[in-house]
Amino acid sequence: MRLEILQTSLLFFGGTCLSGYAVRRLLKLEKEGILFSVALGAFCWWALMELILVPMTMRLASFSSFTVIYSVAVAIFALAGLFCWRDILDDLRKFAGNWRQYLTLGHLAALLLIVFELWFIHHHMYLEWDDTYYVNLANEAVSSDKIYWVYPETGAQADFDKRYVLSLWPIFYAWLSRLIGVVPTVMAHMIMPWLMIPLAYVVYVLIGRRLFEDDVQLQGMFLAFAVLIHLFMSGEHTTGLTFLAITPWVGKGVLAAIIVPALFYWILRAAHDNGAGNWILLGITGLGGCLTSSVGILLAPLFIGLSVFLLSLQKRQIRYLAYGILSCLPCILLGLYYIRLTH
Amino acid sequence: MQEFFEIATTDFAATFEGAWMLPLLLLSAGLILWKEPDWTRKILLGGLPLAAIFIYWFLPTGMLLMKLLGENIYWRILWLILLAVTIPYALCLLLRRCRGLRRQAAFLLCLVLLALCGTPLLASEEFLDSTNEYKIPQYVIDVCELLPENIHAVVSNRLLPYIRLYDTSITLEYARNAFVFVSLEEGRSDIEKLYLEMQEDEIDLSVLAPLAKSEGCTFIVLSNTRTYIGEWEDNGYTKYASTDEFDIFVDMDYEEGEDTRKWID
Repeated sequence: MRLEILQTSLLFFGGTCLSGYAVRRLLKLEKEGILFSVALGAFCWWALMELILVPMTMRLASFSSFTVIYSVAVAIFALAGLFCWRDILDDLRKFAGNWRQYLTLGHLAALLLIVFELWFIHHHMYLEWDDTYYVNLANEAVSSDKIYWVYPETGAQADFDKRYVLSLWPIFYAWLSRLIGVVPTVMAHMIMPWLMIPLAYVVYVLIGRRLFEDDVQLQGMFLAFAVLIHLFMSGEHTTGLTFLAITPWVGKGVLAAIIVPALFYWILRAAHDNGAGNWILLGITGLGGCLTSSVGILLAPLFIGLSVFLLSLQKRQIRYLAYGILSCLPCILLGLYYIRLTH
Repeated sequence: MQEFFEIATTDFAATFEGAWMLPLLLLSAGLILWKEPDWTRKILLGGLPLAAIFIYWFLPTGMLLMKLLGENIYWRILWLILLAVTIPYALCLLLRRCRGLRRQAAFLLCLVLLALCGTPLLASEEFLDSTNEYKIPQYVIDVCELLPENIHAVVSNRLLPYIRLYDTSITLEYARNAFVFVSLEEGRSDIEKLYLEMQEDEIDLSVLAPLAKSEGCTFIVLSNTRTYIGEWEDNGYTKYASTDEFDIFVDMDYEEGEDTRKWID
């Protein structure tokens, strides 16, 4: 299993990192570092998946054809990143020169907590009843080659449950399962934590860097506090953060613990640097959030709307609100489609 | 309106109960609003969480969002509160004033305080030692390894959520969707009657077996603590295999290797 975890991590983090560099070049976002590219690439992968998966699901396409089309799209993305090798080398050189500054008590504490969390989750199981629906959705996709027209809990042929048809997050790990050659149950329970937990904390690293640009010590302390809160949170199963510590493969957990903080990160950047890139990435991340959970179709624009409304008031500039609304357009369109489907 | 506040209060309490995260959040937001010099940060880190709490409790926005989201998951609005950003930022604002060893000591103290204010999630009783790569209960795997592929079955409630996580070639007569039948005094449809009979401590095989057979259930898996009225063989089923906790019965008309899955094209 260690080999499969390693292979999937290399595929996911390597692929998203390269894709992130390609998008950075397109959006002219330079000198942001490797972790920025990883996070950016992951959100682009999920947004791209939503764009490909929704029409294919509605057209009753097979899972195999989705796998081929999405793999080709992702591969093109990642290959484009290889053309940014100079940027990658620059970032690697910079990291090699600066890594000692990250040897702080805060970073060390954060690292220890993250490693402990990964070790604990790897050696324990948390029996999540909803897996019988969501993980079996992925199992059915792989075994029956059908995307979401089998009722996953019993195996009965069924019409789509329209509440979830726009947010088929399990198909993401079904896709990874197909590429790596393990069953989706194993992918979800055994391998996904190794992808989602580090990715979530990458987002907090980025937020910390933005907030304490001139104080690396505080960046580490901020991260350590954030990790600790994820491990010592109230409201098991109701607070979004708890999903990361107990069931990191669940789509709603990814929404609450990765997507919403990432939206905040883009808003934080856009508040200080009003370039188009940050607003575009805000929209892409929101669209990625729609893949993770149907609640994301409402929560992502709600979070963006609330933030840009406050920002517009504070800066007394309507353009923040306008750009925010524009970045929500993909979510709004999906929301309207959702209403049409469910009413 | 009263219903809205009842749901909102219950959900809010469930989200923050058992820990001191809400007071900590409010203190943190207050500290940021008071001490942070940058107005953008003041608004995004201190104001935004309070705004999220406001739209959660404010009747017009709350009612609208409850209608859009559904009453059962209204609490997810609270996911918009970035606890793991606001609280750490406020603590770092405090730590920014210290330097050197004092900062390190204060940091460690804050870590301890945070841990004391929360509930250790990883200590939850719901976590069990993992015994297999699927991370499902071992008794499920024990049963699945005895069952042949491509069959239709009706199984004990304990197996229901997990059995297809191991083998999707098994189709089930009912799953969690049947749990609503538990409130029925008497079943109307065959599936309701079958579910209710499966829940009995002492199962009447003259009721269960014909229902299972008519629904095409070639296999029946029951906890080995159950007792039966009648003989399985007299009702068209026979014992197929056993595990430590479950007995597996098979339709006597079943032929080894036969595909008895229901609903398959």
